[in-house]
Amino acid sequence: MRIRWTVLTLALILLVGNLDGTDVQAQEKEVTFLELGDYTGPASAMCNPMQAATADYFKYLNDKGGVNGVKVKYIPMDARYEIARALSAYNRYKRDSKVLVVNCMGSSIGKAVGAVSREDNQVVLTPADGHSHALRSNVFAWGAAWADAFAAVLDWCLTDWKAKGKTGKPLIGYMSYNNAYGQDALCGGVEYAEKLGLKLLPPEFFPPDSLKHDVYLTRLADQGANYVFIGGSDPTPSNVVRGAADLGLTKKITFVTDMYGTTAIGVKLYPDALEGTIHVAYQIKGEEAYNNPFIREFWNKYQKQPINKMVEAYGTGLAWSRTFEFALRDALQRVGYDKLTRGEMLESYTRQTGLSMLGVQGSCAYSKTSRAACDEVRFYKVTGGKILPVSDWKKVPDAVSLHKWL
Amino acid sequence: MMKSYRRNALLAVVFFLLWLLGFATVGYSQGAKAQVIPGKFYVAPSLIKNPIQFEGSGFVSKEMVVVEMVLPQGVKIKGVKQGEDAVGLAYATADVEGNFKTAMQPLATLSWFFQVGWTVNGAPDFKEATLLTPGKYEIRAVGMASGTIAKTAMEVVAPPPEEKK
Repeated sequence: MRIRWTVLTLALILLVGNLDGTDVQAQEKEVTFLELGDYTGPASAMCNPMQAATADYFKYLNDKGGVNGVKVKYIPMDARYEIARALSAYNRYKRDSKVLVVNCMGSSIGKAVGAVSREDNQVVLTPADGHSHALRSNVFAWGAAWADAFAAVLDWCLTDWKAKGKTGKPLIGYMSYNNAYGQDALCGGVEYAEKLGLKLLPPEFFPPDSLKHDVYLTRLADQGANYVFIGGSDPTPSNVVRGAADLGLTKKITFVTDMYGTTAIGVKLYPDALEGTIHVAYQIKGEEAYNNPFIREFWNKYQKQPINKMVEAYGTGLAWSRTFEFALRDALQRVGYDKLTRGEMLESYTRQTGLSMLGVQGSCAYSKTSRAACDEVRFYKVTGGKILPVSDWKKVPDAVSLHKWL
Repeated sequence: MMKSYRRNALLAVVFFLLWLLGFATVGYSQGAKAQVIPGKFYVAPSLIKNPIQFEGSGFVSKEMVVVEMVLPQGVKIKGVKQGEDAVGLAYATADVEGNFKTAMQPLATLSWFFQVGWTVNGAPDFKEATLLTPGKYEIRAVGMASGTIAKTAMEVVAPPPEEKK
């Protein structure tokens, strides 16, 4: 009888101890990077290279034994750029305290997930919306803010106008998606244009999946635009410029594409039409990307294809993975694995100021007062079917703070 | 001695039951309700302009509510991996009284009901579309802050013969 009760007691103790999935032996130390990605959706052409780079980088880390012995569990989910899907997928993981970072392929997704995870101090990565920059909360951008990059474009247009010997000031046109992203660069960008005394023509917004943009281009041309800024994720901006070339507009208007604009995707599709297109970027593009040692090392080792098959967004994935690695190392050094919380990871992200991105983009600008991964951009020009730099790295103006955010 | 063993075993059982009870704090709420409008439909292009709507009540004031379609065994959805039991269709912020009303966005309809492919230009490719399998689907509205769940259902029927042409 005594033995029966003993066995029952021991069995119950073992059962309770194992029901949460914990092995009776020491559990491998692990943290999670959740990717609310786009693998098969409308932005997949741009997102897939980034996602591939992230998977490669974490494989590299884990093959080395992880970060201070802590491995990274990479969970890729295909949200297809869709907010409800991303929220539902995130909800499944929000109670796992070792999900340290959630990466969102889409500013709107980042905004939504950032809002529901704010109380948990969840680090959320997102393309670049100004609201996140202004709030300085748990949402961290991949690069410079849209409005700050647009402000840098306005500076560039003014300089280029003067360099061409023109007097007065140029007229600037603006075209982008008819969604939150498309509006974002104007939140601070409009105020910055006013500060420079530049006239912005009424903006033209188009559906992200539209293939023809003649109506919008013609309206801007008829109003006398000298420069037209094109938002969107490639190949959309390249499609717009192709349409402009068909209308003969590239002979009299200089087109400037946004940070996810002109890439190898667009140049391969329309090399002649894109000739002369200017592109603002927070990470290296074209030949510079192909020749960067950090990018080449990973691409050659894990993708095993000729480097000219690479879309430059691969470098973006490496950059944010590297930042994750260093933030994780910092957090583990400060508090150790058992006390590692989302809040501590967020704190460590703000401590990565100055971290070198090995030439892929400017050094890390995350801090207590900044949610931009970098605060520098560079200008490129499509020349002879290649994307070549035409400027040095330039610090972006702070246009975001000019806007009255609600 | 014998009594202390029985007492310890009894304590182990009590603790075990208390631990189980801890998992019952979040989940289905009898007070929360949700409905699909219309509750029965077929997948057609008209759903882009006249999307499926969802309404509900019984949630926490101002919380984000996500509406999910539970995937029956054997139903595959593009982009959803094996092991995932549901896909989000819509979302809303509940009002002060915990009610919500929302509709599927065009991208959600294209992604989950039509399951279109996408061209490299970012346009929907209907040649690669696979319409959602007709059948009854459980719908759950989940309060993301409270964990409140309201369940309902929708029925997807086959399109009428003239629509198939």
